[in-house]
Amino acid sequence: MRPAVVYLKEVVKAEAGEVYDIELEADILEANRKLAKKNRELLRKYDVKAIDVMGATGSGKTSLIEKMVQALIGRYRIAAFKGDLTTTIDAERIKRHGAEAVPITTGKECHLDANLVGKALRNIDLKQIDLLFIENVGNLICPAEFPLGSEQRIVVVSVTEGPYMVIKHPFIFMDADVVVINKMDLADAMGIDVKKLEMDVKTINPKASVAVTNCRSGEGVKKVIEALGL
Amino acid sequence: MTSQIVENVLREARKHNAKGVAEVHLVIGKLTFLGLEQVRFSYKVLTEGTIMENSKLFIETKDGVVKCGSCGYEGSFNYEDDPMYHIPLPTLKCPKCGGTVDIVGGRECLIKNVKLILDEGCQH
Repeated sequence: MRPAVVYLKEVVKAEAGEVYDIELEADILEANRKLAKKNRELLRKYDVKAIDVMGATGSGKTSLIEKMVQALIGRYRIAAFKGDLTTTIDAERIKRHGAEAVPITTGKECHLDANLVGKALRNIDLKQIDLLFIENVGNLICPAEFPLGSEQRIVVVSVTEGPYMVIKHPFIFMDADVVVINKMDLADAMGIDVKKLEMDVKTINPKASVAVTNCRSGEGVKKVIEALGL
Repeated sequence: MTSQIVENVLREARKHNAKGVAEVHLVIGKLTFLGLEQVRFSYKVLTEGTIMENSKLFIETKDGVVKCGSCGYEGSFNYEDDPMYHIPLPTLKCPKCGGTVDIVGGRECLIKNVKLILDEGCQH
């Protein structure tokens, strides 16, 4: 994260001649939100629709993007930003399907922020794309704190993460437009009631659409695409 | 996050040629993912050896606020208190009309004000 910008509002008062009370009103998180807004404006200018993909490590975010790219590559010119701590393995996976993929390695940070995404946006030719997937670092906590400037947000949760992932992380699901419940083929083996997971999502966020998928075979991905209005 | 808070305060202190920092007042929304215990701990560690060392840290917390698009309700969250969930689960369902609400407050991480100790005779 870059240092937030401080806006000095006013010097309030001086105490006993030597202690000065300075009203800062500097919101550290607001700095990221402002950058996110800038990213959003830039994307809009070039008519690029950006979609965040968030979810835990191993939930199937990259597989979902791969399957969506496969299905949409004829209709849209697609790019993907792929946030990871270090490797570029996943970016290569996405590239195979004909999308431009830019790895964003965060080093140690557990989430992408609007500044990193802004930098990546300057690295691609926005005139050449219509659709951008931004895959966050695998994490259900911090990404909820840092909007990146995208239009829609997907949260992927897989049945192998157990029955309580949704209710344990209500705030990231509140930010989601589409929730994908992945690895449906393993639900029986895991003893997971998919309907219950769906209900949990709807309880927390009645606005979100829910799609149940198997991102290895591609089953259900069509519903995700429809929910995104693509 | 705490290091950004400390950086910002130090920058402000330098701007005013302060010789010390007496107090730092923060406002942290309950919908952020900041642990107050961790903020206090890292604040102590990060300010060691700086002019912020031994400054008092005050943290005011702020509840989450939601606003309903249909009935205009503005206030605290609705909680789904089904025993099945073990905990009251926050929901975006409006407590008044059952419509859906948007989060409008509780995501602050604000350095509200700082009290600087200035060199005597400093003109301000």
